[in-house]
Amino acid sequence: MTSESATPAYASARARGLGSSRRRARALRRALRRVGLDALMIVVALIVLFPLLFALSTSLKTGAEVDRYPPTLWPHVLNFGNYPAAMQQAPLPRFLLNSFVQAGAITLGQLVTASLAAFAFAFVEFPGRQWLFFLFLSTLMIPGEVTLIPNYLTVRSLGWLDTYPGLIAPYLATAFGTFLLRQFFLTIPRELQDAARIDGASRRRFLWMIVLPLSRPALATLAIYAFLSSWNQYLWPLLVINSTGMRTVQIGLALLQSQEIISWSVVMAGVVLIVLPTVVLFILGYRHVVRGLTAGAVKG
Amino acid sequence: MRARVTRRRFLKTAGAVGLGAMAAGMRLPAVSAQAPTRIVFWHAMGGNLGETVVQAFVNKFNESRKDVQVEAQFQGSYDDLINKLRASLGSSAVPAVSQVYDIGTRFMVDSKAVVPVQDFIDREKFDVSQFEPNILAYYRVGNRLYSMPFNTSTAILYYNKDMFKQAGLNPDQPPRTFEEIEAYATKLVRGGATQSGITIAIYGWFFEQLLARQGVLYANNGNGRDAPATAVVYDHEEQGARILEWWARMVKNGVATNPGRPTAASQRAFAAGQTAMTVDSTAVLKSLLTQSGGRFQLGTGYFPKPPDAKTGGSIVGGASAWILRGRPPAEQQAAWEFVKFISAPPQQAAWYVGTGYFPVRRDAYREPVARQTLAQYPQFLTAISELRNSPINRATQGALLGVFPEARQKSEDAIEATVLGRKSPQQALVDAARDVNQAIAVYNRTMGIK
Amino acid sequence: MKSAYALLQALAYLIASLAVFAAFVFYPLVRNVQLSLYDTTPFGGLSAFIGTRNYAQLFTSPDFLNSLRVTVLFAVYTVPAGIVCGLPLALLANRRIRGIAAYRTAYSFTIAVSIAAAALIWEWMLDPNVGILNYLLSLVHGPRIGWLTDPHWALPAVAATTVWQSLGFNVVVLLAALQGVPDELVEAARIDGGGQWAVFLHVVVPAISPALFFVGVVATLGVLQSFGQVHILTQGGPVGATNVIVYSIYRNAFFNFRFGLAAAQAMVLFVLVLAFTVLQFAVFERWVSYQ
Repeated sequence: MTSESATPAYASARARGLGSSRRRARALRRALRRVGLDALMIVVALIVLFPLLFALSTSLKTGAEVDRYPPTLWPHVLNFGNYPAAMQQAPLPRFLLNSFVQAGAITLGQLVTASLAAFAFAFVEFPGRQWLFFLFLSTLMIPGEVTLIPNYLTVRSLGWLDTYPGLIAPYLATAFGTFLLRQFFLTIPRELQDAARIDGASRRRFLWMIVLPLSRPALATLAIYAFLSSWNQYLWPLLVINSTGMRTVQIGLALLQSQEIISWSVVMAGVVLIVLPTVVLFILGYRHVVRGLTAGAVKG
Repeated sequence: MRARVTRRRFLKTAGAVGLGAMAAGMRLPAVSAQAPTRIVFWHAMGGNLGETVVQAFVNKFNESRKDVQVEAQFQGSYDDLINKLRASLGSSAVPAVSQVYDIGTRFMVDSKAVVPVQDFIDREKFDVSQFEPNILAYYRVGNRLYSMPFNTSTAILYYNKDMFKQAGLNPDQPPRTFEEIEAYATKLVRGGATQSGITIAIYGWFFEQLLARQGVLYANNGNGRDAPATAVVYDHEEQGARILEWWARMVKNGVATNPGRPTAASQRAFAAGQTAMTVDSTAVLKSLLTQSGGRFQLGTGYFPKPPDAKTGGSIVGGASAWILRGRPPAEQQAAWEFVKFISAPPQQAAWYVGTGYFPVRRDAYREPVARQTLAQYPQFLTAISELRNSPINRATQGALLGVFPEARQKSEDAIEATVLGRKSPQQALVDAARDVNQAIAVYNRTMGIK
Repeated sequence: MKSAYALLQALAYLIASLAVFAAFVFYPLVRNVQLSLYDTTPFGGLSAFIGTRNYAQLFTSPDFLNSLRVTVLFAVYTVPAGIVCGLPLALLANRRIRGIAAYRTAYSFTIAVSIAAAALIWEWMLDPNVGILNYLLSLVHGPRIGWLTDPHWALPAVAATTVWQSLGFNVVVLLAALQGVPDELVEAARIDGGGQWAVFLHVVVPAISPALFFVGVVATLGVLQSFGQVHILTQGGPVGATNVIVYSIYRNAFFNFRFGLAAAQAMVLFVLVLAFTVLQFAVFERWVSYQ
C-alpha cells in the first residue's frame, strides 16, 4: 500500500526532469487534488448513506415532528419511543425469529447439499458427470418466477402453507453454491486425495476430515451469501405465509406500512431494527461477501 | 401385582363407562362443555380499528364464554384477506370464521366453501327483524343470507366548515349534486380559501356508488341478482361516462386534486387542512374527527346524486362475517356464537361510536353510548340517513360479480386514465369493460356457472 | 462395473440436491408449461385444454404489452445509471489512502439493505407532502412532484430506489476489478503521455470490461425479476406505469386468480431470461478468450 506521494506519477515527473519550482507547483496541485478528493469522498459517502441516516433520524423523531413541513434533518427532540411502538404494532421479534429460522435452515441446507454435490463433481469419476453438472447449472437459467405458481400449488397441496417447511423446502439446493464449492474443491491438490486413498480412508472421511476443513473460506462465503439472500427474500414468503405470527421480517416491514394512518417514525424504527442484523453480518463478514460476489465476476 | 393391575383396570373401565353413560344421557350441547372450542377469526381491520375495537370485542367474548375461545388474526387489507382465504380454501388452513368485504360475496357463495348463516338462523329461529332492510337486501343471495353483516358503511361527503365560511358558502348546506360539488369546489379555490376544493381518491367503490346514486346498473342480469352476470354494463350507460367526465374536468380545472389510489392519502390531506372536501366511507368518521383534532369543524353530507334520479340511492358497503365449511361442526357452531355476538346491539353500538360504521340493526341506536355520541356528533347520523333514504332496487342492491375485485381494479384503471388525461371517459370505460367481461367469461366457464 | 459403482456412489452424494431440483425446479417448469395451455379455475385446477389461447390473449392485451414496455424502460433507467453511479464510487474507493477500508464499507453498505427496507425508506423520502426530496426540490424552486402518483415520475422513482439499493453490489464488483488492473499498465500509459481521461478510457475501462459486463447483466436480470419495490411503492401503478412483468404475473395469479394466464406470462419471461443468459454466456466466452 504505497501512499500517493510515492507513486510512479511523482517519479515520472521527476524523471521528466522538471525544475524544482515546477515540481513544487505540481506537488501543490497534487496536494490540492488529494484534499479535494478526500472531501469528495466524504461528501459521496454521506450521499450514499443519506437514506439510511435519514431513516435513523426519522425513527428518533416524535410523530408530530415527522409530519411537520419543512422536514428537519435531525430530531429536535429525541424520541426512542418509536422502537417499542414498532415492536407493538407488529410482532417484530417474532418476525426476526421467523426470518432467522428460515435463513438459518436454508443456509444449513444449502451448505450440506452443495458440499455433497460439489464433492461428487470434484472427486468422483463417474459416467455422465459432465451431463449432470450441466443439469445442475441449467437450474441457474430458470428464473424463480417460472416455478413460482406450480411451487405454490405444490406447497399448498402438501399443507405447507403458513409453515417453515413451506418457506424453506424449495431453496434447500443451490447450483450456484455447488458451482462455487466445486471450483474451490478442484484447487485441492491431487496428492492429498491420493494420500487419503492410500491410507485407506473412505471417500466420506476424506470429505469430512480433509476437504471441508480446507474449504472453510468458500463455505463461509456460501453461508453468508445464502443467509443474506434468504433473509432478503420477498415474493415467496409473501405468497406462502398468511398468518401474522409466521411472517418473515421483510413482509412484516410491509405490514407496518399498510395501516390506515401511516406513522413514518414508527415505520422507520421498524426498518432500522430489521436492517440491523444484516448490517452487523455485513460488517463482520465483509471480506467473505466481497469474495463471494466477485467469484463470478472478475475471474468468471 | 395382578390385583393392582386389575383394580386400576377396573377403575379405568368404570370411569369410561360412567362417562359414556353421562354423555349418552346428556343431550350434548352443540358446543362441548369440556374444553373450550378454539376458533380462529380472520379480519382486515388494521391499525386503530383492529387493536382497539375488534380486539376489545374478542376479549369481551372470550371473557364471557367458557365454551368458545376466539383468536383474531389480522390479515392485511380486504384484498389481502380474500386472497389468503382463497388460497386456503382447499386446505385445512382455513379459519372458522372470516370477514370478507362486500364485493367478495358472489365468489364466496360460488366457492361452496361456506355454511350459510341462513342455516343457523332457520335452525334457531334467530330474529333478523331489527336488521336494516338495505343491508339484508345486499347480503341476501337468492333470498338466503349467506353471511352475517358485520361492519357496514356507505360513502359520504366530508367537508371543512371553516373553509366554507371563508369562501362565503353556507357551512350547514353541503353540496348535493355533481354540479353543486363542482361549483363549490371552484368557489373555494378561486376565492383563495384553499388550494384544493375537493380530493377524491381513485377508489372503484366511489364509482360503483356514483352509478347507484343515479339509479343505473353496474352489471347485467339485474346486477347479477336475477341470474349470474355475464357482463358489466357501465360502458353502455351515459351515466358512467358522465361520472368520469365530471371527475376529470374538476382535476383538469385545478379545483380537485388527485391523491392517487389510497384513501389514506385523501384522508391525510383533508385532516391536515390541505383540501376543503373529500369523499370517503363513513367508517373513517371517528378517525377524521380525531385527526382534525379541533383544528376545524368537520361537516358531513350525502354522496352526490342528480336531482332527477328518483330511483338512485346508496349501496351498502363494508364487510360481513362468513362461516367456513372446512372446519368441524363444533367450530362452525362456535363461529355462529361469535357471529351472533358481534352483531348484537351492544357490540354494534360500540363499533358505531368507535369508528363510524353504522349498526346493522336498528335497536343498536337505543344503546346509551350510541345516544351520547349522536348527541355530541350529529355527523354520525349522515350515513344511516343516506341509506334509509335510498330505495331498494337492483341498482342500490349492488352488483354480484365473482370477479369483482378484478373488476374494481379495472374501473380504477379507467378512472385513473381519464383523470390523468390519458384516455377519453368513454374509451376508458370500454377498455375496462372489455377486460372485465373476459374475466367474467373465464370465471363462469371454469366455475361451471351457466 | 467400477464405473457403475462410482455412479452409485456419486448419486448418493447428489441425491439431496437432485431431489430438491426435481421437485422445485424441473417439475414446476413442466407444470407451468401445462398450466399455460389450460383454462384454470380460480383455485388453480385445470379446467379445459385451450392450447395457445392464453398466449394469444397475452399478445393482444395492451396490459401485457405495457408490462413488457415498462420492464424494458425500467432496465434502461436502472442499468446504465447503476454503472454510472457505481464506477466513480469504485474509483474513489480504489485510492490508496489511510482509512480507505471505512470508505469501502460505506460505499458498499447497501448490500446489507434489503429491497423491502430500501423501498420503505424511499417511500418516506418521496412523500409528496412532507418528504425530504420535495423539500430539497423546493429549495431550488422546483415543482412539488407526486413521485409515486405521477405516471411520468413513478418509474424513475422506482428506478432510483433500485439503483441505490444495488449500488453496494456494483461498487464491490467494480472495485475488485479495478484492483485487478496492474499498476504497470496504467503507468506505462501515463508515461506514454496519456492524460487522465485518455488513460481511463483506453486502458482502465477495457481492463475492467468483464466486470462492467457482469454488473450490467446482473442488473438486467434483476430488472427482469423485480417485484418487491413495485409491490411496496406503487403496486404497478399509476396507470400501469410501473407494472413490470413479475408484478403483472403476481397480480394475475394471486389477485385475479387467473393461473393459466399468469403461467403463460411466466413462460414469456422465461424465454426472455433464457435469451439474455445465453447472450451473456456467448459474449462472455468471447471476452474471456479475448483476454
